Parts: sequence; structure tokens; C-alpha cells
Amino acid sequence: MELLLIIAVLLPLAAAFLAFLFPANKPKAIRWLAIAATGISLALYLTLFANFDRAQAGYQFVSKMDWIPQLGVSFHLGLDGISMTLLLLVGFIAFAGTLVSSEIHERQKEYYILFLALTTGISGTFASMDLFFFYFFYEMAVIPMYLLIGIWGSLPPGKHGRTKEYATMKLTLYLTAGAVLALIGLLAMYYGAGGRTFDMVEIQRQFKLNPLSATSQRWIFPTLLFGFGFLASLWPFHTWSPLGYAAAPTAASMMHAGVLKKLGAYGIIRIALPLLPQGARYWANLLVILACFNILYAGWSAMMQRDWKFVIGYSSVSHMGYVLLGIATLNIVGVSGAVLLMFAHGLMAALTFSLIGFFYHQTHNRYVPELSGLARKIPFIGTCMVMAVMASSGLPGFANFPSEVMVFIGAWHRGTTIFQIATICAVWGIVVTATYLLRAVRASFFGPFDEKWSMLKDATTLWRKFPYALLLAALLVVGFYPRILTDIIQKSVAGVVEKQGVGVVAAVPAAERAPETGATTPDLVKVQP
Amino acid sequence: MMGLLYPIQFECLAVVLAVLTLLGDAFKPLPDRRRLGYVLAAVMGLLLLYSFGPWIQVQDQTFFHGMYRFDAFALFFKRLFLLVLMFVLVMAAEFSPRIESGIAELYALILLCGTGMLLTASVNDFILLFVALELVTISFYVLVSYLRRQLPSLEAGTKYLVLGALSSGFNVYGIAYIFGTMGTTNFDTLHARLSALHASPSMAFTFGLLLVLTGLGFKISSFPFQIWTPDVYQGAPTPVTAFLAVGSKTAGFALLLRVLFTGLLPVQGVWVNLLMVLAGASLLYGNLGAIPQRNIKRLLGYSSIGHAGYMLMGVAAINSIGAGAVLFYLGQYAFTNLCAFLAIVAVSNVTGSSEISSFSGLGKRSPILGAALFIAMLSLAGIPPLSGFFGKFYLFVAVIARAATDWRYYVLAGIGAVTAVISLYFYLGVAKAIYIQEPENPANAGPIPVSDPMRLALYVCMAAIIGLGIFQGPLVNAAIQAASVFGLR
Repeated sequence: MELLLIIAVLLPLAAAFLAFLFPANKPKAIRWLAIAATGISLALYLTLFANFDRAQAGYQFVSKMDWIPQLGVSFHLGLDGISMTLLLLVGFIAFAGTLVSSEIHERQKEYYILFLALTTGISGTFASMDLFFFYFFYEMAVIPMYLLIGIWGSLPPGKHGRTKEYATMKLTLYLTAGAVLALIGLLAMYYGAGGRTFDMVEIQRQFKLNPLSATSQRWIFPTLLFGFGFLASLWPFHTWSPLGYAAAPTAASMMHAGVLKKLGAYGIIRIALPLLPQGARYWANLLVILACFNILYAGWSAMMQRDWKFVIGYSSVSHMGYVLLGIATLNIVGVSGAVLLMFAHGLMAALTFSLIGFFYHQTHNRYVPELSGLARKIPFIGTCMVMAVMASSGLPGFANFPSEVMVFIGAWHRGTTIFQIATICAVWGIVVTATYLLRAVRASFFGPFDEKWSMLKDATTLWRKFPYALLLAALLVVGFYPRILTDIIQKSVAGVVEKQGVGVVAAVPAAERAPETGATTPDLVKVQP
Repeated sequence: MMGLLYPIQFECLAVVLAVLTLLGDAFKPLPDRRRLGYVLAAVMGLLLLYSFGPWIQVQDQTFFHGMYRFDAFALFFKRLFLLVLMFVLVMAAEFSPRIESGIAELYALILLCGTGMLLTASVNDFILLFVALELVTISFYVLVSYLRRQLPSLEAGTKYLVLGALSSGFNVYGIAYIFGTMGTTNFDTLHARLSALHASPSMAFTFGLLLVLTGLGFKISSFPFQIWTPDVYQGAPTPVTAFLAVGSKTAGFALLLRVLFTGLLPVQGVWVNLLMVLAGASLLYGNLGAIPQRNIKRLLGYSSIGHAGYMLMGVAAINSIGAGAVLFYLGQYAFTNLCAFLAIVAVSNVTGSSEISSFSGLGKRSPILGAALFIAMLSLAGIPPLSGFFGKFYLFVAVIARAATDWRYYVLAGIGAVTAVISLYFYLGVAKAIYIQEPENPANAGPIPVSDPMRLALYVCMAAIIGLGIFQGPLVNAAIQAASVFGLR
């Protein structure tokens, strides 16, 4: 099983090397290679998930190899509930992304090499238990994205007057800036734990024996919060994100909005919360305020957008606000909700971007006011889009609903005024989301049909429908039966936030109540098959 | 006799080879001088292999009246210089069609210059330091202005001559002050005398130390002795630029590490603050100055100032991790820069230009050259899984190790982090030209031919950049072992 994890993570990279050796005039073979690689790694993740010991809280499928013993670096992979959930997400989106990449016709060889390298970068980050390799994979994901957007991207000229080159450079610089900021914090923790090992588990053990002083925690925490926050599009460092998504080719938008962005939030949950609990408590209030700005400010910006990709781009910034709010609660329900929301939002964002890519590829136009009545020509895509929008607005039945509810419950449970105000803002944010998304769908998919678009073709074959159906199915399964994930997430989250100490008086009962909370929420019970 | 020559065998072989090249050319000029370069490169490769044999034993003693050392540190650098010589000779052979006359002399000068570099690895005395440094610098005066009918090359040669002579003057003047105050030029004796000194060293000694640092700062092109770098890098023939960027800089760092960590270690309080300032200033100057550059050799000149800043960060940390990190960095930096310059030589042989715009569409015109230059740029920018990433990471580890006791190192690391992001901007500018932009003149955008030795050299460099980026262990081991001669904590 440990071996399966290593294979699943490294398989796309191996396929990229193999594709490098292929002649460039055989794009079909390279495409099939990419489909096989991502498909097999999805199958492997599902196998791992099926074999995951749901009763156990710690890491599973652990394999460890000394890498640079002089510095205490080891190649250390393993999964707990949080990373298992997110790796499943990577598997789904990478596979669906490869399938919808049939729209790429130019320089396919380079395209698939970069896409596969990107996939390994992301999944490696989620699976790493060693800070060095966490950082290694994390940075590795940035550059393929630069080229994917720069070469295959498209940014229709608009009032913003930006080119795709500008968008991709901005994105790359923001992400790298965040990464190096986080690096300084990571190294400071490495020395705080004695400077002998980069192993996260080992560092956590060291910190349990002799914790870092409160002062250093307060100083180190913001480097990680903002460093990873850049990637999680924390307000006001989010401006790279809508622009980057708008310029990216479909599969790159899917990967980025779906999983790459989640790396930031994952970094905070995986590293900053358990290793710097006092720092987290100190900065939680600021994080809540910023998260509210994320939700409302980005939601407001999304309302103003006319380009489909910008709408979804801002909407994903807004949704990351819920994730950050969940993290700021520092209790089991809230943080678990954040993890589940990452999963749900990742699928939803990938689905929406793939649908936009589907019609944009044919219309070469994605301005909401210029599209009208598309559902008449492409009913399947229209239906999927309506469902994606419903998921995004948090309708019951989709995975987004239970996760958002958990975030709200967690935030309300903190009991302080600021958290309760934030909860109210966040609930209000759902209304905002529903407004701009439903408006966009109504305008472009329904209403009078414009003859301009009579050449549109729907996804008719099963094969073309498959990627969209796959993402929707995952959303619905988790939406109807959230415990399939929440059980394993909550056990691992307990390990992340258990050391919260005094600040969690309110959270401890919440922790005990957590399973019931999930079960007694009426909608969750009703919809269980 | 053999025992006497044993520690200087590499230097002797390089000199003999240089003389043979000159003699052979005088008696029997080869019709194809290109092949001679490949042969010399192959000989260097064999020497490099030979240096890994069990018959090479490092010795913990000095030779020639304490002037010369043959320890793990020296061997590490000698291997590195042999490697650099090998690639530079390949590059010179590729470049040779663009040289009107005196090709055998070019090879001989490169070898003589390399002899000086091999000597710097073992220096244990200020007198030998000066001699080795002059051997390198004087050879470079000729090499830089080798394209004697081209104005930029002559301009670069003059600049290098004037500033180089000035820095040599500073250097020897500083050595005189140090000898005058401490009564010795030997590093070991100096170390002992400075350790015995209870008060802080005299003003005259400090003055001498600063002058010596000026001379070395010129070699590694650190701020504020960097003014010559972009101009000379741009004007010099490309193989010479590569030799300056990797050989000369590495020699400068070999001397700097040796001087600071043996002779001058007891007075670290005098120079450490200065070094931190120089590191920070070089980082900012090099990386900010590179942003508006349109010529790739000039860009690499600024980048070389920035990289001097990174390595100075590791020196300023004064710990064993820092020394090891600098050695690792130098090792990977050699491969990375050589890879970039090899590709530049191949491209500008065809296009006759080193403007960044002339590299646009390179990914289509020649996939291997495009990939090589792209990988080299990303490695310089410090992107995993390439060796430059681990080099920077290792340096940051060293600096943060000191930061626990001295907060100013956090500032230094912060500058390093910010400039790493800045540097990504201009390195990606080159990447953009290679892969995103279309060739500027479609009529003139045919494939670029790549000769077999060039192809082999490129593959070796790329394999090394990726290999060292993923399997860092062997070079880290070698670096730590070499750095252990200083006995730092």
C-alpha cells in the first residue's frame, strides 16, 4: 500500500519523462499516455481510500527514506484524513482535466509534459510529511503553470487592458513571493525544533516536549499565514487569482482553482495550526476579518464582472474566504468544514471552468451579455452548469452544503462577537453568490436564443460527457453522504487542533459533539440514501 | 622528486598541456583547430576522472614551507576547476570559427588561466595568493579582448585591465599592511598570532584586511566592486564570459573562504558586518539591475553579481552549514552557468547576436538548446527540482541557523528571499522568449545545428542540474567534507 501511494504520486511525473522521449509528431500517443497516467493515479487514490483505516487518526501508508541525512531531510510520504481527501480531489481533477484537454491542438507534447509535472507537484505536496519535500513539490507546481498560461492561455481584450503574459507573470511572482515568505517561517521552525530534522511528525513531537515560546510563535505564524495565504488568495493578496484563471487554458484553470489554490489553505492547516498553536490563537481574529473581506469583497467584485471566467475567478476567491473562516475557528467542526469545503469547492470550480471551456472553445466568446439561450443548443452542458451553480450556492445535496454548514457552526461556536458577526457576513455571502451566479446562468443559458450561436455542438458521446459527469457525481456522492469524508477528516483534524489549550474552552464540547452535529443536522439525515 | 610534485600534479599537467599546445601549433599547425579543442577537453575529462582515483590522497599538512595545502577543500576545488576547464574548452572549440587567428593560443591561455585557478584552491599564504590571482587575472586581460577587431571586446578588455590592475594594486597593498602589522604572510601563523592577540587588531591591520577584501571582492564581483561585470560579460567572447562567470568567481570564493576561515577567523568581528552588508547590497544591485537588460550576456553579468550576494550570505553565516552550502552552490552554479553559456554559444554562432529577442522561438528552432537554456534559467532562479533550488535552500538554512542568535540575519535572509522573487521575473523573461514568443524574423528561423560534442556537453549539464536537484546527497557530502577542514561549528 505504501508503494501504491508513491506510485500514485510519482506516476504523472514518470509519464512526463516518458512523453519527453516521444516524438512530437505523435500527439495522440502522448495524450493517451497522459490519460492513462492520471487515470491510473486516480484509481490508485480510490484504492487507497477504500483501504484507508477509518478508525485511525494518524498517518497511514507511511514510507520513509533518508534523503539528505546531513540536514535531516527524508523522503517521507503518508496520508491522514485531510491529505487523503485532498489527494482524491487531485486525482479527480487531474483526470478530468486531461480528458477535457482535447481542445488543445498546438504543441501537445509540451502541454502534456507540463500538465503532468504540475499534477505531481500538487499531489506531492499533499502527500509529503517532510517540510523540505513539502516545499520542494509546492514550488515545483508554480513553473508549469507559468508556461501553461503563457503558451496556451487566452485573455480576451477588455477594459482591464491586460495580456496573458502579464497575467501569468503576476501569478507566478505572487505565488513565489508567498512561497519564499513561508520558507523563512519553515526554517525558523526547523531551528526552533533543534535543527536536526525536517520531518513534520518529529518536529511536532519536539514541540510537544518543549514548545516554542509564545513570542516566537507570534512572529513565525504570520510568515506562514501570509506566505500560504498568497496562494490561498487571502484578501488583499488575491488579485493575481481571477486574472490568472481568466487567462489560463481550461485544464490549467481547473487545476489551479480546483487544487493548487487549496495548497495554501492546506499548508496553514497542516503546518501552521498544529506547530504554532499559540500563534494561531493570536492571529485568529485578524484572519477572520480578512476572511470576511474575502467573502464579501470578492463576492461584490464577482457581481461586477461580465466575463464568465472572471465571475468564477472572483467567486473562487470568495469561497476561499469560507475556507479561511473555517480555519480561523480553530475547532474541530470549523476546520473539518474547511477541509470538506476545499474538496467540494475544488470539484465545483473545476466543473465550472471545464464547462466554460467547453462553450468558449466553440464560441470564442465568454461575455455574459453577449451569450444568450445557449441551453437550447447545448442542453447537457447547460444542465451541468445549473447544477454547478446550485452546488456553488450551497444547495443541499451537493458537498458544498454540509461543509459550509460545518464552517458556520464552528464559527458560531467560538462565541466571541467578532466570530458571530463574521458568521452573519458569511451567511449573507451565500446570497451574494447565488445572485451573481444565477444571474450569469440565466443571462447566457436561458432567455431568447441568439442565432449567432446556432453552430454550437453539445457533448453527445458518453466519452465527451464523462469528465463532467465524473466531477458532478463526486460532488453528489459526498453531498448525500458527507460522512464518507467527514469521519476521516475529523479524526485527523482533532490531531491538528487538539493542542489549542485555553482558547478552545468553547471548542472542546463542540469537538465531542461533532459527530452528532453532523448527524443531527436534519438535512444531512434526510438525504442519506 | 615525485613526492615533491605530488601535491601540484594537476597544476603541472595543465602547464605542460598548455606548453605542448603552443609548441605543437608552432611546429605542425592543425588544419582543424576545432578538433584540438575537443581533444584538450577530453584530456581534462580524463584528468577529472583521474582525480577521483584511490591514488589521490588528501594530506593534512602544508607543502613548500607552509605556502600550499592539499586538503579536502583544495581537492574539491581542483576537481571543480578541471570540470569547468573541460566545458570551457568545448565552448571555445565551438566558438573557434568566429576567431580570426590564434586559436591554439586561446586554448593555451585558457589552460594557463586554469593553472592559476587550480593554484588558488591550495593557497595558504598571501604571497601565493597574489601569484595565483595574478596568473588568473593576467590571462584574462588577454582572453577578454581576444576578438581584437571588435570594438565591444576591446572595450571590455580595457575596462577589465584598468579595474583589474587597480584591484591587484589594492590587494598587494593590503598584503603589505597585514605583513607589516603581523609580521607574517602565512595563514596558519597569522591565525595563531591573531588568536594570541587580546586587544582588537590595530587600525593598520584592519586597513590591510579591507584592502585584501577589495581585491577579492573584485574577483567575485560583489558590490561595490562589481561595476566592470556587466560590460565585460557583454563584450568578452562568450566562452571567456563563461570562464569568468564560473572559473574566476569560483577561484575568488575559494580564496575568500580560505583567507577568512583560516587566517582571519580570529578577527571575524571585524569583517562579518561588512560581509553582511556586501551580501545584501550585491543581492539588491545584481537582481534589480538585471530587470531592464535586453542582452542575455549582460543579464547574466548582473545575475552573477546577485549570485555572489547569495554565496556571501553563506560566508557571512560563519558556520559549517554555511561553508558547505557555499561549496554546494559553487558546484551546481558551475553546471548551471555552463549550460546557459553553451546554449548561448550555439545560438549566437548562428544568429550572431546575444540580444534576448534573438532567442525568441528557440524552443521551436532547436528543442535541445531551448530546453537547456530554459533549465539553466530556472535553476539560476532556484526552482525545484533543479539544483539551484537546493543551493539556495541550503544557504537559507545556514543563514537562519545564525538568525536564532542574531536577528540581523533574518534581515539578510529577507533580502535574499525578496531578491529571489525579483530574479524570477527576469529569468522568466528569457523563458518567455524561448517558449512563448514567436521568432522575431520568421524568414530567418530555421533549425539551429548542434554539433555532437556540444550535444553531449549539454546533456551532461542538464543531467547534472536535474540530478543534483533531486539527489543532492553526493555533492552535499563532498561539500561538507571539504568544508570540514576549517573546523567551524
